[in-house]
Amino acid sequence: MNKYIGIVGTNTQRSTNRQLLQFMERHYQDQAEIELVEVAGLPMFNKPADRVIPDRAAEIGKKIDESDGVIISTPEYDHAVPAVLMNALEWLSYGIHPFLDKPVMIIGASFGSLGTSRAQAHLRQMLDAPELGARIMPSSEYLLGHVLEAFDKDGNLNDQGRIDRLDALFADFEEFVKISKELWHTTEYDKQEISKLDKTDFGSN
Amino acid sequence: MKLVGIAGTVEDKSYNRMLLEFIANHFSGLVDIEILSIDDLPMFDQDNDVTNSGAVQYLNRKISNADGVIIATPEHNHTITAALKSALEWLSFKVHPFSDKPVMIVGASYYEQGSSRAQLNLRQILEAPGVNAIVFPGNEFLLANVKEAFDDDGNLKDEKTVAFLQSNLQKFKKFVKVINSMNKAAGGTDEAAQAEDLDATGKISTTVEGVDMTADDWVEQAAKKVNAVDGKTYVKLDRGLLTVDQLNYFLNSMPIELTYADSNNQFIYYNKMGGKMLAPRTPGQVGDPLSKVHPKRAIRGVKSVIHALRTGKTDMVSMPVPGNGPDKYIMHYYKAMHDEKGEYVGINEFVLDLIPIIKWYLKKTGQKLTADPNNKVDADASASTKDDSSTDADASASVDDDAADTSANVDTDASASVDENDESTTTNDSKGKDDGGSDATASASVEDWD
Repeated sequence: MNKYIGIVGTNTQRSTNRQLLQFMERHYQDQAEIELVEVAGLPMFNKPADRVIPDRAAEIGKKIDESDGVIISTPEYDHAVPAVLMNALEWLSYGIHPFLDKPVMIIGASFGSLGTSRAQAHLRQMLDAPELGARIMPSSEYLLGHVLEAFDKDGNLNDQGRIDRLDALFADFEEFVKISKELWHTTEYDKQEISKLDKTDFGSN
Repeated sequence: MKLVGIAGTVEDKSYNRMLLEFIANHFSGLVDIEILSIDDLPMFDQDNDVTNSGAVQYLNRKISNADGVIIATPEHNHTITAALKSALEWLSFKVHPFSDKPVMIVGASYYEQGSSRAQLNLRQILEAPGVNAIVFPGNEFLLANVKEAFDDDGNLKDEKTVAFLQSNLQKFKKFVKVINSMNKAAGGTDEAAQAEDLDATGKISTTVEGVDMTADDWVEQAAKKVNAVDGKTYVKLDRGLLTVDQLNYFLNSMPIELTYADSNNQFIYYNKMGGKMLAPRTPGQVGDPLSKVHPKRAIRGVKSVIHALRTGKTDMVSMPVPGNGPDKYIMHYYKAMHDEKGEYVGINEFVLDLIPIIKWYLKKTGQKLTADPNNKVDADASASTKDDSSTDADASASVDDDAADTSANVDTDASASVDENDESTTTNDSKGKDDGGSDATASASVEDWD
């Protein structure tokens, strides 16, 4: 059984994105283990010259590193990913690179009808940066719009069509995780590239 | 011209801050730039709102009072920094200092890209309805390989780069002037008007205190509080004597829709027409502050209208609603009300459809409407009266102050695009921003009395 890390892309207590991940955790418990990880509470990334990253960031990095893949559920603020998630990704690409070649599935929930379409595109762009270098599952948006009506009182998605779509996407993700293991040819080059970038970041100038 | 500069970083040493400082110093003869820091802002968290903290209010005030903003952005992970994004989230949550503000983006990076992706991303964020900035188009300034770009005194070494930056700045200055004069024409920078308190937090002699204005049963609660009379009790009017019942019969049978907003900007009455209203109101809305019954985007226009009426700049504002066609021509009139001493006491808004009146008149007098060959209004404006020629038909769109508009707007696809936020406050806050109407049109109505 694969183990995935589910990242909640917000710091708000009442988050429908967290709810969506919690639903997946339960719904797929026979197929995979999904551990939810919160990104709230990290200090604002300020590129510290001493390279020291917060313990919490290192801990999240380790969890990701040890996982088979990552599922990120993002809200959308101002047509983009919330600062709190961006901040986590900055820490998780500063001297440590747990996302490198890690299979990632992006989902998102919103109150309106667009379902975080712009934030998801933004997140893809970020995860594609060399310091993150994630393997994002292609052509796989899951846009959960009108989310306030999407869950029943037990926190389950109440629309079978939406569940079926998520099931199909998750099945694809499991395959994608397998296939990703074959995509190793560039790994060494990516690592070299990153280590060069790290040197520039941490250089004396 | 007063600009503020924001370096999109909280790093101790930042080449983007250095770039801003260079711009501020080197071009001090051209523009006055004050550099603001975002260091003291906490991570945006809607559960722990610090909008009223000194750090947020400092930026809010400085940006609001500036003619324009220059943002220098680094690029982290192909995008802007979380620190800058967080600052923009605070400045688009409960306060919106960037709204209609001209913004120029510059950026510096260690490598060849010169923050190209971050700049595009920043553009997208600034144009989101909650932020609503007016971003200077084109003129990208990407400073690549920044570690080699400055001399020991913090000056850009390359003369061509400096010349290019100067030409960008000169163009931005013009852009700022154009945008701000556009805003001004639209009433946007009329500070006194914008100080109108649509949240009705003030108090006038008739304000009923101790009752939640937004309560659905505000009328019942407030009536109880002041021991209001009703039913068969007589009320002596200026010239007449009616019971409350009679007063209701009379007002409810008016062939126009009436709304009363007091001088504290509280919506306290409408004549309940029953059936389909031209400008629908709901019983629960009575008592609401005016901010609550208007889409966010209309607020500025509404403030301008109220201010003009309050200050006596005009006695009445007339606005056709959008979508008027040959069979329907709905007008909203906002008439200032005054007490016996001439003091402003509020607005009498009345709404009616002109077409039945026009048709009746034409029929009775055996006439028909024909186009006026000397008319400067385009033909689409249909049976326009002279009044219309000053504003195009769309002009009134968002000043249209009926509450139904608010809910209608919220349901459109357009509005959906804003509220991907997790929490309802943000959502509601920005929801209004993204309604069908537009600011520019909202305030264009000011033209009505010019």
